[in-house]
Amino acid sequence: MRGPLRNIAAIASTAVLELYRRRDVYTAVVLAIVVTVPLASVNVFGVKGIVRYLREITLLLVWLFTLVIGLTTAARQIPRELENRTIYALLAKPLRRSEFILGKFAGAVAATGLAVLLFYLCYVVLDGLKEGVWYTPVLPQVVLLHLALVALMTALVIFGSTFLTPSANVTCSALIVAGMLLFGQKIPEAAARAVAPASWILWTAHAVLPHFEFFDLRLRLVHGWEPISPAVLLAVLGYCTLYTTALLGGAVAIFSRKRL
Amino acid sequence: MPEPTVAIEIDRLSKVYPGGNRALSDFSLAVDAGEIFGFLGPNGAGKTTTIKILLGFMPPTSGTVRVLGGDPRLPETRRRIGYLPEVANYYGYMTVDELLRYYGRLCGMSRDAIRKRTDELLELVGLADVRRRQLKHFSKGMLQRAGIAQALLHDPDLLILDEPMTGLDPPARLQMRDIILRQKQQGKTVFFSSHELSEAELICDRVGILKAGCTVWCGPTNEVTGDGAGNLERIFLNMIRQNESEQQK
Repeated sequence: MRGPLRNIAAIASTAVLELYRRRDVYTAVVLAIVVTVPLASVNVFGVKGIVRYLREITLLLVWLFTLVIGLTTAARQIPRELENRTIYALLAKPLRRSEFILGKFAGAVAATGLAVLLFYLCYVVLDGLKEGVWYTPVLPQVVLLHLALVALMTALVIFGSTFLTPSANVTCSALIVAGMLLFGQKIPEAAARAVAPASWILWTAHAVLPHFEFFDLRLRLVHGWEPISPAVLLAVLGYCTLYTTALLGGAVAIFSRKRL
Repeated sequence: MPEPTVAIEIDRLSKVYPGGNRALSDFSLAVDAGEIFGFLGPNGAGKTTTIKILLGFMPPTSGTVRVLGGDPRLPETRRRIGYLPEVANYYGYMTVDELLRYYGRLCGMSRDAIRKRTDELLELVGLADVRRRQLKHFSKGMLQRAGIAQALLHDPDLLILDEPMTGLDPPARLQMRDIILRQKQQGKTVFFSSHELSEAELICDRVGILKAGCTVWCGPTNEVTGDGAGNLERIFLNMIRQNESEQQK
């Protein structure tokens, strides 16, 4: 592995090691068990057709826990290095600040991504055991786009942690992610109805804020719909790549000028 | 390219923090390659600011800094520097073995080189028996010894030590002194800031005394301590007071 990649991998590996050593991994396991509760209770209700609702609740929990784990994992990466002053020994090594930022990003994505995979594994196993459905064609797309969302969300938090306090960063990021997931698609409609300056603000938000709702394929999985076309999938992944790159570029630019 | 004979060159360095606090003003210093240089001064003199600029952690307001002939903001220059921070905080969830492996990878060392060097250094600093214990269970002195091991890991040409004796008991101090002197024997340069004047007196070739961002004295240690009539502590206090009274005039 070459210099920059080796440095990024070294920094990223510490995030995963920390997840394991600080026993955060147990939190993910407990949450994974919680995720399975709705599906496990299918027979309790004994109502035909209720499976879809329970699947929906299960996936809602998967997304909710992913947001919590993802936001908190990403938000502590840089501030903890600064608070504990470990950053001094680290940046005294032949390491570029860009490698530090990218390493922290990769580590947080890897740690949250592992939790996401664990959640979906629980979902698939329980759905398979209860309903006999072990594979649906849309499932790989659901997982892939969920991981893409984790990457984008992590980039947003890493960007925020270069200039915001940890609590302000988590609050702002959570508001943006949850707000866009819930209302992202409705912004153009609301902007069209609103009058200036509210309409300008809404159009700006629509243009500037990352559209996390693009990555949400839960309904397709719940109802067993067809997968999205490869072209759309590539477009969403491209959008994620562009936005993530821009946010990380901003983080590197700010952090490179930061006085330590 | 020939090796530079001056390890650290600081020329008319000034640093003014946002808010107007002037930490350094027109401060110049040269540290020769292969010497042990003691960087002394009271709290708030500008020692830590100087070290941060020497490691590229912050830019100066004006003036230039060259470390081993290069710009310390470049990774290539820092590859030849070993740094022990004043506060020895490392990752509590790692073992000292893992810490050195982590830093070794960042220094571009091979797996075998890291393993070999880790064995040597943990023996040297007396942490070989606790190499698999997590750092959160280490005492302050043990963390300081882990710190010196990470600073020496990649066999740097210049060691920058910020208060290296902090938290060390007398045997560990003796050990640290031996490590520093051994570096000099190997032709390395050691630049260390300290409040421990007696330590500086024992091991430094030269000392520089900093006060309010300016050098008030710089020269060979034996010159400042003279024929033994005055120790470094007394001379240090005289210099600082003399400088204060001159400023008052």
